[in-house]
Amino acid sequence: MLHWILWGTDMMERISRNTRIFFEGAFYSYKALFRWLNPATYLASKVLAPLTIMIFFVFIGAYASGSNNASFYVIGNSLIFAASSGIFGVTMSVGGERWTGTLPYLFGCPANRGAMFIGRAFMHILDGMLGVFIGLGWGILLFKLDLSQANPLALLLTILVTTFSTSGLGLLMGCLSLITRNVMLVNNTVYFALLIFSGANIPVEELPAWMQVIANGLPLTRGVACARTIIAGGSLTEIMPLLKEELLIGIILTILGYFLFKVFEIQAKKLGTLDIF
Amino acid sequence: MNQVQKNLRVMLLAFEVEMRQNLTDGFVIFGILIQPLLVALMALWMLKGKGPDYAIFVVVGSGMTGLWTTLLFNGGNSITGERWTGTLEPLVASPASLRMIIFGKVLANVAQSLGSMIGSYLLISTILGYPLTLARPALFAVSLLVTVFALVCFGLILASFFILIPDFARMVNTLEFPIYILCGFLFPIALLPGWTTPISYLLSPYWAAQALHGAAQGTLTTGQILADWGWMLAFSLSYILISGKLYQVILRKARVDATLDIVGN
Repeated sequence: MLHWILWGTDMMERISRNTRIFFEGAFYSYKALFRWLNPATYLASKVLAPLTIMIFFVFIGAYASGSNNASFYVIGNSLIFAASSGIFGVTMSVGGERWTGTLPYLFGCPANRGAMFIGRAFMHILDGMLGVFIGLGWGILLFKLDLSQANPLALLLTILVTTFSTSGLGLLMGCLSLITRNVMLVNNTVYFALLIFSGANIPVEELPAWMQVIANGLPLTRGVACARTIIAGGSLTEIMPLLKEELLIGIILTILGYFLFKVFEIQAKKLGTLDIF
Repeated sequence: MNQVQKNLRVMLLAFEVEMRQNLTDGFVIFGILIQPLLVALMALWMLKGKGPDYAIFVVVGSGMTGLWTTLLFNGGNSITGERWTGTLEPLVASPASLRMIIFGKVLANVAQSLGSMIGSYLLISTILGYPLTLARPALFAVSLLVTVFALVCFGLILASFFILIPDFARMVNTLEFPIYILCGFLFPIALLPGWTTPISYLLSPYWAAQALHGAAQGTLTTGQILADWGWMLAFSLSYILISGKLYQVILRKARVDATLDIVGN
């Protein structure tokens, strides 16, 4: 009996410690990433930059089709902002440890790696969701996006799951940034590839078959489709299968990222290459 | 050696060093090759219903996005890059003109970014098999030369903003797409609200895009293309004159405030 009580106490302590590591790591890595930005610059990159990207694609779309189908591009590009936080923010939070010389301390401390690693994505999931809301807000203000048919809860769930899945991709990319100097090259390439493959700007069914295969294996694709269905008046039940798949992709990417993180930690310690670029 | 020869030598050496450095920079490769190709691929699908000339329109438009992105991020960072590597002080202390050095560096960036147009051309014609024809090749070639000159002159001003306006480097991400939009790289500015048109007219990349699209598709008369060159050259001249003053301010400010190598000022 005493054995079980001690085990339970120990388990509670571990959970409490790891939860603290998770949230403290999340908060400080996010703060460290954006500390160099002043509020005006942060707002410019969160509010103005997304607007300019959205306008660009809405007008190409208008030029291409000759009709006003702005909502297609507004929804697609709003969801892309989730990927922007997920990929750039999370990658820089993980990879930034190497650039700032804090990686040896992280790998040297006894903290739980899972809490430490996945915590790096937490704030960016919230930040990504905010980005999507801002994108949709611009859509309502400038392009008459109609959300009256949308189930708010289903839309919120879609945004949350999509932001999580793209953050999973960010965690995986963040690991790659621990072994390459050209992280911005990799990040930007993946981000622009998502613009093409995810269906944000080109309907997936219009892509060649081989591209559709890639599109279906990526995060975001299902999230964009779900958001369009919900905004058109679809129900949560209707999108649930796609949403589950989106969630599964996010979980797989996160696990894969964590696995790589562990492998790189072992390799870096063995070869003494923690800070070598 | 007279002053012109000395300046040309300085410019060419800066050009060569920048070229060599850029070849090892992954982000430069992204800006010159990968991003324009992905933009071209996307625009190709989105604009496929626009008639027989749309493929060459995409080549020119996506090439222009590569030119602008490289000019903004790499050309713009020409002075701050030296500051980061600790070489700005020796450059300023040397008797060579700082403006000529920056001109050579921006020229290297813009010249390299022409690769984006060649890359888009090869992707769309060779790999994707679209027929691509330049309607007026001679006018297109001259338009390209005038464009390079105009963008380099624009880059001189941009590079000075990175030093003179502390928040400029941090805001630079927000300047990439507005130029794509306002200069009509991949759709005509007539689609935009009327009040934005005068802003487009003040930007030399707009006249560059108009001349290149017009010569490539044969939609403009020779007179109209000549007028576009005229606007580009007029803006270039004004940028050169303004940059002369701006570089004096930079050097004076650096000496008075002693902030030459202080990153973030």
